[in-house]
Amino acid sequence: MLTVALPKGALLKDSIRLLQSVGLDFSAFLDASNRQLQIQDPSATAQGLLVRAQDVPVYVEYGQAQIGMVGFDVLQEKKPQVAQIADLGFGQCRMSVAVPSQSPYRSAMELPPNCRVASKFVHCAHDFFGQIDLPVEIIPLYGSVELGPITGMSEAIVDLVSTGRTLKENGLIELDCLYESTARLIAHPLSYRLNQYRLQYWLDEISKASQPLTASSS
Amino acid sequence: MYQPPAGARDLLPLDVAQKCWIEQRLQQVFQQWGYHRIITPTLERLDTLLAGGAVEPQTVIQVWDAEEGVLGLRPELTASIARAAVTRMEGATHPQRLYYNANIFRQQPGHASSQHEFYQAGVELLGSSGLLADAEILLLLANCLTELGVQQWHVILGEADLTRSLLRPFPEKVRGAVRQAIAQLDRVGLSHLPLSPELKDHALFLLDLRGEPTQVLQKVAQLPLEPPQHEAVSNLKSLVEVLSNLPSLILDLSLIQTFDYYTGIVFELISDADSGQRVLGQGGRYDQLLGLYHPQNKMIPGIGFSFNVEHLHQVLLTLGKLPKQTPAPHWLVVAETEAAIATAFDHAHQLRQQTAQPSLTRVEVDLSQKSPDDIRTTARQQRIGQIAWVNAHGSVTIESLG
Repeated sequence: MLTVALPKGALLKDSIRLLQSVGLDFSAFLDASNRQLQIQDPSATAQGLLVRAQDVPVYVEYGQAQIGMVGFDVLQEKKPQVAQIADLGFGQCRMSVAVPSQSPYRSAMELPPNCRVASKFVHCAHDFFGQIDLPVEIIPLYGSVELGPITGMSEAIVDLVSTGRTLKENGLIELDCLYESTARLIAHPLSYRLNQYRLQYWLDEISKASQPLTASSS
Repeated sequence: MYQPPAGARDLLPLDVAQKCWIEQRLQQVFQQWGYHRIITPTLERLDTLLAGGAVEPQTVIQVWDAEEGVLGLRPELTASIARAAVTRMEGATHPQRLYYNANIFRQQPGHASSQHEFYQAGVELLGSSGLLADAEILLLLANCLTELGVQQWHVILGEADLTRSLLRPFPEKVRGAVRQAIAQLDRVGLSHLPLSPELKDHALFLLDLRGEPTQVLQKVAQLPLEPPQHEAVSNLKSLVEVLSNLPSLILDLSLIQTFDYYTGIVFELISDADSGQRVLGQGGRYDQLLGLYHPQNKMIPGIGFSFNVEHLHQVLLTLGKLPKQTPAPHWLVVAETEAAIATAFDHAHQLRQQTAQPSLTRVEVDLSQKSPDDIRTTARQQRIGQIAWVNAHGSVTIESLG
C-alpha cells in the first residue's frame, strides 16, 4: 500500500493539511489522544507513518515509505538518496551561526581558529566551516544547543532559526546564514522510477496542491 | 568477546546451504549459455580498480603492501576481468563469455557499521556489440530468475549514450549539474539551476522520460534527433521488441550515472514491491572500458551484469524457495564395541560408495559411544534416516528411524 512518512513536530500540521487537500486524510495523527504511529486514511488508499523528522528520509530511502515530507535542513544534514520532488513552501526557517551578543564576533569568519561550535547539524556545520576554511571543533548536541555558549562550552552554535525568539531570549545573536530551509516533498527513487502505487499521480497532485500554500506563506 | 569487525558477518551452515542453492542455479544457467568461470584476485592495485571512473576511492577498502604500495579489496569484478581479458587472454577469440561468483568489498563513508563484504554472481560478454549481444545479456538474466523461481520482477532500462547526447543542448557550465540532478531525480535542484525556460522544460522532459517503452520511444522520436540518435532509438525499439516476454520492462532515459562508464544500454533489476523492492542486479554496456586496460588502447566492446546475491537471498527467503534446514545425514554407523571400530569405518566407506551419486550420500560414524537408546534419540534429533549397528564380529544390523 502507498505509504507516506510524516514528520512529528513543526511540519506535521501543514503536511497533514496538504495531504488532506489531495484526498489523503491523516488528521487522526493530530488528535491529542492518538497514540498510533501507523494509520490508514479513511478511503484506505494509503497509510501514514508518524516518525521523527530526522527519520523521514530514512524510511523513504529504504522504501518503507514511498512519499515523505521533511525539512530541507534534514536533507542537507543526512544527504539521503531520495528523489526531491517539490519545494512545499511551508516550514520556513534558516540554518545560522549564532554567538552570545556580548561576544566580539560579528561574522563567522572572525571566529578564532580551532574554536568550539556546538550543533545538532554536525555535517552542515562541518561543511560550512570547511567552505570558509576555518578549522573548528564541532561538539554534537541533541537539544538546547543554546546552552553551549551560555555555559562556556562553545564559542558559537549552528542551529535552525525560525523567528529568532529563542536566540534572543538566551542572549544570542545570529551571524551568518548557511541556507534557507522549507519543507520538501521526497520520494523513494526506485518506486518513483517504477511508478508503484501510481506514485507519479500522487506526487503531481501534492505538488500542485502545494502551490497556493507556497504563495500564501511567502 | 571476540567479534567480527563491524560490517563483516559469518555465514553459518544453513546460510551457506541457501547461498549455494542460489549460486548453483545461477552457475548452471551461465554454463548453459556457454559462459566460463574466471577467478581474479581479491586484492588489486588501486589504479586498476579506479581506472574505469565508476568507483570512488573512498568506497574501496585499502590495504598497504610494502612492495606494491596501495592495494584495494575489489568493490566489483568488471575492472579485474577487463584487466585480465586484455592482458592475459589477448589471443583468445571473441566473443569471450565469462562468468564469476565472488565476494566484493565496499565501505560507505558515513555508514561505519553497514555491511562491508558482499557476494556477486555475474557475467561479462566481451568483444560483441549491437542488438544481439544486448539481447543475450537481458534474456540470460531473465533465464536466471526463471530458474530461481522469481516470477515478479522489473527491469529499468536506460541508454547512457542516448541520454548523454540529449544533454548536449545544455551549456557546458551547467551540464554537469543538470546531469547530476537528473541522475538523482532532484526536481527541486533542477528548478534552481540557472537555465532558460526552454532548457528548464527540456531538463524536466528528460527527468520524466520513463514509462511504458513504446510510449517513451514515441516521445523521444518527437525530438529533433541527429542520425546517431535515430540509430540509438531504433536499436532500443528492436531490443524492446525482443524483450517483449519480460514480466515488466520500464524504459527510463533518465537512468544515468554521474560518471562516463556506460556507453550503451544500462539496466537495473528490481524485485517486486511485496518483497521489498530491492536491487537484485545491475549492468550495462561499457565499450570504452577494455581500451583503458589494453596496452595499445585497443577498443573492445563489452557488456555485463551482476546479481547481488544477498538481495536475491532475502527475496527468495520471503518467497519460501530456499532450503529451510541443512541436509540431513542418510546413515549413522555405530561400532557397538571397540573391536568393531575398524569394520564400522569400512562399512561407512562402503555405504558412501554404494549409491549412483556418492557425493550425495551422507554417512556419519557415531563418536559418542553411548547406550543404543541415547544414540537413537540423538539420531532422531539430527533427522538421520538409518542406523547401521556393527558388532564385534563384523556383522551389520540395519535399523530404519521412520
